[in-house]
Amino acid sequence: MTDALKLPFAGEDRVRRLSANLKEPKWLLGDRLAAFKSYLDLPIETNNLFTLYVDLRLARFAEIDPYEETTEAPQVADVVPEGASALIEVAEDKVVARALSAEAKSAGVVIDTFANVLRNRPELLREALDGGTTLPANDKFAQFARSHSALGVLIHIPRNAALEKPIVVRWAAGEPGRGLVSRMLIDVGENASVSVLEEQLPTDSHAEAASETQPQSLWWGTTEVRLAEGANLNFAAQQDFGPNTLAFVNRHATLQKDAQLNWALASVGAQIHKSRIDNHLVGRGSGVRQVEIGFGGGRQLFDATSYTRHIGADTTGDLLSKGVFLDRARGYYKGMITIEKTARGTDSFLGEFAMLMSKQARSVTIPSLEIDQPDVRRASHASSVGPVDETQVFYLMSRGLPREVARKFIVLGFLEPVVSRIPLGDAQDRLRRLLEEKWPASTELDAIGKSEAAA
Amino acid sequence: MTLTQRQQVDNDRSRFDFKDEIVYLTETKRGLTRATVEEISALKDEPAWMLEFRLRAYEHFLKRPMPVWTDGLDRINFDKIVYYRKPSEREEKSWDDVPDQIKATFERLGIPEAERKFLSGVGAQYDSEVVYHSVKEELSKIGVVFMGTDQALKEYPDIFKKYFGTVIPPEDNKFAALNSAVWSGGSFVYVPKGVDVPLPLQAYFRINGENTGQFERTLIVVEEDAKVSYVEGCTAPIYATESLHVAVVEVIALPRSKVRYTTIQNWSNDVYNLVTKRAHAYEDSHVEWIDANTGSRKTVKYPSIYLRGRGASADIISVAVAGRGQHQDTGAKAIHLAPDTKSRIVSKSVSKDGGRATYRGQLKVAPGATGVVASVRCDALMLDDESRSDTYPYIDIQETDTTMSHEATVGKISQDQIFYLMSRGLSENEAQNLIVQGFLDVFTKELPMEYAIEFNRLVKLEMEGALG
Repeated sequence: MTDALKLPFAGEDRVRRLSANLKEPKWLLGDRLAAFKSYLDLPIETNNLFTLYVDLRLARFAEIDPYEETTEAPQVADVVPEGASALIEVAEDKVVARALSAEAKSAGVVIDTFANVLRNRPELLREALDGGTTLPANDKFAQFARSHSALGVLIHIPRNAALEKPIVVRWAAGEPGRGLVSRMLIDVGENASVSVLEEQLPTDSHAEAASETQPQSLWWGTTEVRLAEGANLNFAAQQDFGPNTLAFVNRHATLQKDAQLNWALASVGAQIHKSRIDNHLVGRGSGVRQVEIGFGGGRQLFDATSYTRHIGADTTGDLLSKGVFLDRARGYYKGMITIEKTARGTDSFLGEFAMLMSKQARSVTIPSLEIDQPDVRRASHASSVGPVDETQVFYLMSRGLPREVARKFIVLGFLEPVVSRIPLGDAQDRLRRLLEEKWPASTELDAIGKSEAAA
Repeated sequence: MTLTQRQQVDNDRSRFDFKDEIVYLTETKRGLTRATVEEISALKDEPAWMLEFRLRAYEHFLKRPMPVWTDGLDRINFDKIVYYRKPSEREEKSWDDVPDQIKATFERLGIPEAERKFLSGVGAQYDSEVVYHSVKEELSKIGVVFMGTDQALKEYPDIFKKYFGTVIPPEDNKFAALNSAVWSGGSFVYVPKGVDVPLPLQAYFRINGENTGQFERTLIVVEEDAKVSYVEGCTAPIYATESLHVAVVEVIALPRSKVRYTTIQNWSNDVYNLVTKRAHAYEDSHVEWIDANTGSRKTVKYPSIYLRGRGASADIISVAVAGRGQHQDTGAKAIHLAPDTKSRIVSKSVSKDGGRATYRGQLKVAPGATGVVASVRCDALMLDDESRSDTYPYIDIQETDTTMSHEATVGKISQDQIFYLMSRGLSENEAQNLIVQGFLDVFTKELPMEYAIEFNRLVKLEMEGALG
């Protein structure tokens, strides 16, 4: 399994073509080529602790030809959705919507593609991107995105800007045999504050079941976050790609003094969802709160790695992962908290919890700690795996709920901590609906109930 | 602690730091070749199947790469090690027959007294061969076998062949392969059906001789409804160059048996201690590993229990103290292969003076193992900024109605606690000592009393000067 990542569509020629198609400056091509070299040199997993838990056997990369060119749709919609302050929407290889509220415009917020920004305000990108510090240097998947992205999105929030309503970023993918490799940079200035909602959806008509006969589709992207002193970002994501899509995600954040970051990430869709999150708590008093949920069925695999490095003094990390797995779904939750020598006064917690709903489902959790500084407020982790609590089911049944409804409520309640942190009411409801729809039909539930009664 | 008390403790420490001039009667050339393996087997006059087993293991050892998940092992120079050394021609039955010099060593360690008082049997390993051994008459009468592993191969060939290498095959890992190729000495315990061994069986192990590898092999077979407790403790003289200790311990707990295996590991700080310990627990049996590591330069050891029969249960307590230059890479594994099995893992580690304590554990619930209840608890105490503590738990659950919980915390001794104890008249060092002993209490209280005293003394020694 190790080092099995051979992407037939990776190559220096393609890197050069991608850069030329986007009319990129020399420094950016240079950065891509440096990334491509790293991509070639890196093993599929550099952390020996995790090498046994990488499994891409369900991916059929040979059938996929990622987009080499991305364009603006003939008609780019410019309507800000209700409750939001801005929207950018990409469907397959096209930017189909881009809208900024008056409030966002006057605050100096920029939301645009890298291509447009490079034409108008190249300085906004070069300082952040050149040298690759916004992605993990030891991650093959991140270096692939850095070298092969066909589209970039920048969200720039100037210092002291505060947007009350969230910015919506929407990605639609699912075209069989095609895929988008993209990057997203979120740069938040000093004391600025913003929330972002990322929605990953199936392109219309590609939401049907996973298929052996149809080529897979690919979505490969990043979220690269830079939070300046006192900056604040709430980032929520819902991944609901079709079951025939492979999703690869890197999320990487660097936090300066007193910056605060909230991740609320929900994964429901895709055949394989492989993600890695890196939080670098550099500045004194910075903090990250991260809640991740996965709800898998069929043969879905959620492979979620998370690294949190406490570097500055008095930093806080509060990380929580929750998974619910039906059918033959699997969750691999691999976490690592590092408390460096400089990080006195750290408060860090990592929790990984799972519920298995079927006999073929599997949960792997590896909540690790590496600690070089004992002067901590808290450094701990916890993990549990269990079935639905029968006492809770019994209690709800005594209140008149049928058994399967009671079980459903308990599972949805288990995932609710993430749902309730999605910033838009509509999006919250949509996620609740998605989770409910994922719940198997009552006939299957009867089967589960019976097998448990028998055991 | 007063100055005189402290001196006393220091003096105590010195009793572990001596080296005897022993005339070795037989030893193999440095380094490991096929010929070394053949020579060991020939010297021991072993049956053909054992030579085959050794050679198969040797071939696998050559092929198997060094593990990469822990560091520092590349510093072992396998060519500099003496793989077999026989200090005494035959196994001794009576204490009076033991050569004086070896006897003196054991007397400094206090073994005979303990034995005379109430121990049911002692096998003490001096380098690569069991030289002293006695089993109390009543134990022999009820059919309990407690002897050196080499001797058991000759005297109980059937039981031996049935179980040897079945729990840990040579192909299990590189060091199990090494041990299987060159093993020598160790204990063999056989407890027949329904026998409750009333006192703990004890074996002392010692490494003597620079660059001597010690490759003991222990096999414990406990028949249905039987019960036994086995205790091992180790000390070794301190040398400048690195010694190697690679042991394999196999425990077979047949249905409804109860087995407890206790280790106090206090190798000197130049020893690489790379040990594979595993038990197979059958239906309704109960296995306990009580494992403490205070010595060695590097210890790699994860006592494992494979719960193979319905209703089997496992308890593992793992304690590590890592001081200057030490890396304790220890932990535990519970592998649930059958329904209604239970496991509990408790790990406590202390790191100080730049030492590194790593907990590495695995909890696995295989498909079909329904109704499993498992818990893991890891606590780490770090005494200063130079030290390091890691926790690497692997939790792999493949059965829906598992109830599993895992918790870990890392912290330091709070100044409030120290201050409180000092206000009651303790010195800072004593206060710290007391808190560490309290932290490790979960382990100490599981020990036979004399060991508990000994262990507390070891911790005290380790703690000496922790506040510099």
